[in-house]
Amino acid sequence: MSFTTSTALASKLPQAKDLSHLFVPTFRIHQKSPFKAVMGMPTLDMINMAGGVPHPSTFPLEQVQATVRAPSHAAPGRTGTLSLERTQANGSTESLNELLQYNDGRGMASYCRFLRQFTEQAHAPPYADWDVVASCGNTDSIAKAVSLFCQQGDHIIVEQYSFPGALSNLVFAKVKPVPVAMDIEGVDPVALDSLCSSWTGATPLRAIYVIPTGQNPTGATMSLARRKALYAVAQKHDLVIIEDDPYYFLQLGPMPETQDTTATDMNKLSLVPSLLSLDTDGRVIRLDSFSKILAPNLRCGWITAPAYIQDRMQILNESTILQPSGLTQGVISRLLNDTWGIEGWIEHLNALRAAYAARRNLFVTLARKHLAGLATFTVPTAGMFLWMRVDLGDAATDATAMPRLLDAMKKGGVMMAPDMPFRVANAAAAAAPERYLRAAFALAETDMFEPALERLARAIASIRGSELQDTQSVACAEPIETTAPAPIAVNSST
Amino acid sequence: MLNVSVTTSSGAIEGLGKFLQYGNGRGVPSYAAFTREHTHRVHDPKYVDWDTVVSLGNTDAFVKALMLFYTSGDTLLVDEWTYPAIIGTVVPMNIQLAPVRMDAEGMVPEALDHVCTNWTGERKLRMVYTIPTAQNPTGATMSIARKRAIYAVAQKHNLVIIEDDPYYYLQFEPYTADSENRYTNLPGITSLVPSLLSLDTDGRVIRLDSFSKVLAPGLRCGWVTAPKYITDKIQFHNETSIQQPAGVSQAIVASLMNEQWGHSGWERHLVQIQRDYAMRRDLFVDLCLKHLNGLVEFTVPDAGMFLWFRVQLKPELQGQTGVMQRVFDSMVANHVLLVPGY
Repeated sequence: MSFTTSTALASKLPQAKDLSHLFVPTFRIHQKSPFKAVMGMPTLDMINMAGGVPHPSTFPLEQVQATVRAPSHAAPGRTGTLSLERTQANGSTESLNELLQYNDGRGMASYCRFLRQFTEQAHAPPYADWDVVASCGNTDSIAKAVSLFCQQGDHIIVEQYSFPGALSNLVFAKVKPVPVAMDIEGVDPVALDSLCSSWTGATPLRAIYVIPTGQNPTGATMSLARRKALYAVAQKHDLVIIEDDPYYFLQLGPMPETQDTTATDMNKLSLVPSLLSLDTDGRVIRLDSFSKILAPNLRCGWITAPAYIQDRMQILNESTILQPSGLTQGVISRLLNDTWGIEGWIEHLNALRAAYAARRNLFVTLARKHLAGLATFTVPTAGMFLWMRVDLGDAATDATAMPRLLDAMKKGGVMMAPDMPFRVANAAAAAAPERYLRAAFALAETDMFEPALERLARAIASIRGSELQDTQSVACAEPIETTAPAPIAVNSST
Repeated sequence: MLNVSVTTSSGAIEGLGKFLQYGNGRGVPSYAAFTREHTHRVHDPKYVDWDTVVSLGNTDAFVKALMLFYTSGDTLLVDEWTYPAIIGTVVPMNIQLAPVRMDAEGMVPEALDHVCTNWTGERKLRMVYTIPTAQNPTGATMSIARKRAIYAVAQKHNLVIIEDDPYYYLQFEPYTADSENRYTNLPGITSLVPSLLSLDTDGRVIRLDSFSKVLAPGLRCGWVTAPKYITDKIQFHNETSIQQPAGVSQAIVASLMNEQWGHSGWERHLVQIQRDYAMRRDLFVDLCLKHLNGLVEFTVPDAGMFLWFRVQLKPELQGQTGVMQRVFDSMVANHVLLVPGY
């Protein structure tokens, strides 16, 4: 992907629609944190003895330095150093003293400024008054976003298979998930429309939580047409959309036809536009994370939403985490603003995409080879997951078959995630349970892919009650597999 | 120079690769180990199955502890003056606050007993939240006798105590006007007023510790000490929210504590901070006595960073509404900012 700097005239864009009627009662009143209202007062002359804030001379860090790699694997071994000095500004980034000090619930200015710029280039949100707030990663953001619109006893629409971190949050919050059917592209808008139209619950449906790209666990990626259709249904039923998109920048392109096909030039491969980029109403709360595109334990991400929603998010932050580690935000800001710059950042993202695509290509090729007749799947075009429907043959109706499969896999030395933690229970799911395994091809060493699939194949075969045939001697039909439609090529300015 | 390198672990602490990878809600082992060892050294909990779990600071830790025991409709016992973020947190959760009278040493045990004994609410009172050292906002510090008395009341009414203690290490010697004889008796780590945790034979104290006031707030690092069945649940809650503190922050803290400073270096750092804060307290109190005579009343704090003034209003102004707002506006006009009590 590449981005051109947007020349959208923000002043010509509409303001976000006021969706505060969808807030839970507490948040309908626009409050500022009373403590922070006091802290926000000082002028240049003001002697501030209000805040319970330590003097920076007590911070024991004089300087922080990090050695970082050049963004792309094209220059392996090349490293540079970034540093954060104590009392002076560090390029675009604040001084170490400021990074280490108490700050508000929005995030460090330099961190947010870069992400605002990047979000503008990547998504060009089609309304004027959006903003970015720092987060500790998408799991925490999900909890906070849900809490704005749903309280105990409410319902929220989710994909029929979803991220267990989100589902656990709903259990904690006593908010019930209502699953909507998916196909190989993700949420089915017709099913969503029907669900909303026929809803008879005690409280209205106000929000939908989706993972539109490299979906966890199904690996599905919604096409642009599908996203537009989803957005239209959300407009029709006045839903907030929580767009959880940690794999967005890991879009991989189609599976190569043959092994000789040159690797896709990621610089030229456009991304499917996000729901945020379609959001003329201001009903999308977009959750981005550095976990899959820098490192997971930085615990840093960002939320993009209308400004009046971000004011509430700030209050939620100020009564919990305050903001992500200022030191970490400073390291990221220094890296992205100065050491790499936006060009380096995009180079890094493209290099990641290429690396993930290579893994996807290898794993899928081997899966086709080893799982013929044993499992079927759709080739993912984003992210790190292969969602395989396991064909248990005669054992399909046996309730013990899946646990036995997992046991056989464990004994055989391969671990993949079973469907149960991802499945959102409802009558339909209980009636016709297809069984799936989710393989993540990100972490394991690539020379372990084939052994993993061999072990899986043996395990499945043992449950089916058949001996595993030597794959070379079986005249097997091509695996029944569907391929998601290629992402629609989009204008390279998005 | 602290060195946390990518692939090599350096004895006590892990390599950077481990600090930057997904982990669990317990934190990176070297950081978690430090919190456990340090708690053992300073508080020596009196029951066997206690443990620590990481937090992003005491505000987040408070929410997690609260949510274990409380739900919509419950009531939390608090100091009659308390940390504003607590109020901001419980309101959206539909949790009420039951204030308990304070004196110069903090929450009054008889008052706590009185509130609990006379409680007629539908739901039992199960938890009391207190800041026993350099209380925010009053600056009050509980003596060991006061803590014992509060603990006894908590036992009588079977309350969980949330001990929010970010200023614990900022204890100093009592104020003396004799400026020649100061800073000879700072408590260090060996002569601090013991914590509620150190008295906790039942396992009813959930103690919140933070690096915010003793290292830096922007690290967003702290920890919770409680019975293991409680820290296990907080770990799970971490895993469905923040996961753990930022790896970079944990790396720096772990490296500093385990390698660069060790426990003795950490203690030397704390003594230095005590001295810094004591000097500020002394200078400020000296000047208050000089400039504010007759205008305010205050108890000199023995710890922390807050001086809590009781404004002495002229008789004709007492009882009038809006007076404190006028005081506040006048302060702003005079370019000095303090937090009003309301």
